[in-house]
Amino acid sequence: MKRSELSEFAVEEEGFKLKIRRGSQGIPVVSAGRGSNSPFVPVEAAQSSAPAQSAQPVNPGAAAPAKEEEGVIYVKSPMVGTFYRAASPESKAFAEAGTKVVENTVVCIIEAMKIMNEIQAEVKGTVIEALVENGQPVEYGQRLFKVKQG
Amino acid sequence: MIQKILIANRGEIALRIVRACRELGIKTLAVYSEADVQSLHVQLADEAICIGGPKSADSYLRADRIISAAEIADVDAIHPGYGFLSENAKFAEQCESCNIKFIGPKSKSIKMMGDKAVAKDTVKKAGVPIVPGSDGPVENEAEAVKVARKIGYPVIIKAVAGGGGRGMRIAHNDISFAKEYHVARNEAEKAFGNGAVYIERYIEKPRHIEFQILADSHGKVLHLGERDCSVQRRHQKLIEESPSPFLNSDLRKKMGKAAVRAAEAASYENAGTIEFLVDAKGNYYFIEMNTRIQVEHPVTEECTGIDLIKQQILVANGEKLSFDQGDIKFEKHAIECRINAEDPSRNFAPSPGTIGLYYAPGGHGVRVDSHAYSGYVIPSHYDSMIGKLICFGTTRKVALERTYRALSEYIIRGIKTTIPLHKAIMADPVFIEGKATTAYMEDFMSRTPPDLFS
Repeated sequence: MKRSELSEFAVEEEGFKLKIRRGSQGIPVVSAGRGSNSPFVPVEAAQSSAPAQSAQPVNPGAAAPAKEEEGVIYVKSPMVGTFYRAASPESKAFAEAGTKVVENTVVCIIEAMKIMNEIQAEVKGTVIEALVENGQPVEYGQRLFKVKQG
Repeated sequence: MIQKILIANRGEIALRIVRACRELGIKTLAVYSEADVQSLHVQLADEAICIGGPKSADSYLRADRIISAAEIADVDAIHPGYGFLSENAKFAEQCESCNIKFIGPKSKSIKMMGDKAVAKDTVKKAGVPIVPGSDGPVENEAEAVKVARKIGYPVIIKAVAGGGGRGMRIAHNDISFAKEYHVARNEAEKAFGNGAVYIERYIEKPRHIEFQILADSHGKVLHLGERDCSVQRRHQKLIEESPSPFLNSDLRKKMGKAAVRAAEAASYENAGTIEFLVDAKGNYYFIEMNTRIQVEHPVTEECTGIDLIKQQILVANGEKLSFDQGDIKFEKHAIECRINAEDPSRNFAPSPGTIGLYYAPGGHGVRVDSHAYSGYVIPSHYDSMIGKLICFGTTRKVALERTYRALSEYIIRGIKTTIPLHKAIMADPVFIEGKATTAYMEDFMSRTPPDLFS
């Protein structure tokens, strides 16, 4: 990459994606996607203090660490399990876009080892959107809802 | 048929397990804490699930989250590595009841050998020599003193729920015994939540020699030879080697048979280690059994040529061991140095931080088991071991010189490590002559100028 004038290079085949881009410090940043069906492909950290010398696979499926926006806060998963929007398949979702929440508002259920856990928002504001689909597995710290503070 | 394994651990052993699974065509799931996002094994595993915050108690010790991750990712088995939940009988039981194969012994074997006093009693009945001591925990100080006098001073007071060299106190007479007894009980209560202690004769300057056990679920129990782990500092192993420079083939046969009897008495399956203390006359005494794979397993792997992690997985899969005791040969001499992020010149203070340049040695007879790489940030939340250097050759002399050569090439910039210390030990006449006992490190540190090992 160094000798050419290219600043970006991408190749895509079935089950494999490769993109190389000149990073801000002139160091190549490589992202490779695997053709895995699992949502839990290793995630790159949002900040790395040292220059990335080796390929760090980025999960195309899970919520990529985005830039922090003004006044936006996230409800994060406190456990590992399966995410449900409502108490049962027939019930209404706990939280939709526009739902106002306070700290102890139940926003979703996470099922862990056959126990249905009610998850509280722990923030105050208005839900912008849900970031995980109903019935999807979630990990500790995963962003569940995007909330506008206030 | 095991198709996916959850690795309930971190660092170099997690990487080791990923590698073995890769070679067996088994998929891997890494569970990790927020402090380990950039860890090498997390990046190399097929899948990864974050299970908590940086503290071990909030992540790697959270059995509930680990089992939850196992369920949502549909794994067949969990490899617990060493430390963390590897010897937690309750966790092994939970795996059993969730129909997830725990890669290790049955939970009842872990429970039996986890209580040091029960373990001693169990192997004693199998005709394995044990250190003279109290028959189980002592009830009170009066009884303890009686036992101490009967055994004969010096004695060592040990926590029943202890391990890893912690919760142990030595007394040389009645007066010091009274004090050490209470200190030991308090330490045990604080560290393990169980203040019960037992008393043993203290063997002066023993060698620590342990035997590797491998057993399948069809009744075959084998030993894969010994590891001499006498070079220890505060009961933490620094250097391990196989074969032991002290044992002759006769003693090896006797101790090997005793180790197998001890494992059979615990109805053992999978990999484990029987630890002995050996005095200058060659008397050997069982001290404890480790019901897990150990840090120093590569020493046995390079000495015998047998891949222990793969064997663990095959045994967990229900397969019979494909070899017998007579097939096991000790062909190479292997030496392992534990590379810790510590500063020997500041009393081994931990040295976490960012590794600048990392360059590992190579060549014939050199093996490096490490999760470190250039730019890696060593978290401060876990133990300080960042890698293991294992060198082996046809003779002990070759292994020693090779270790010295490899340590000279090993570069880890940005943090302090024990590399210079290991180099100094490789050049030390007492170690070269194979005369190191568990008293070695204290002696070495006292007579070696600090600028030679830091």
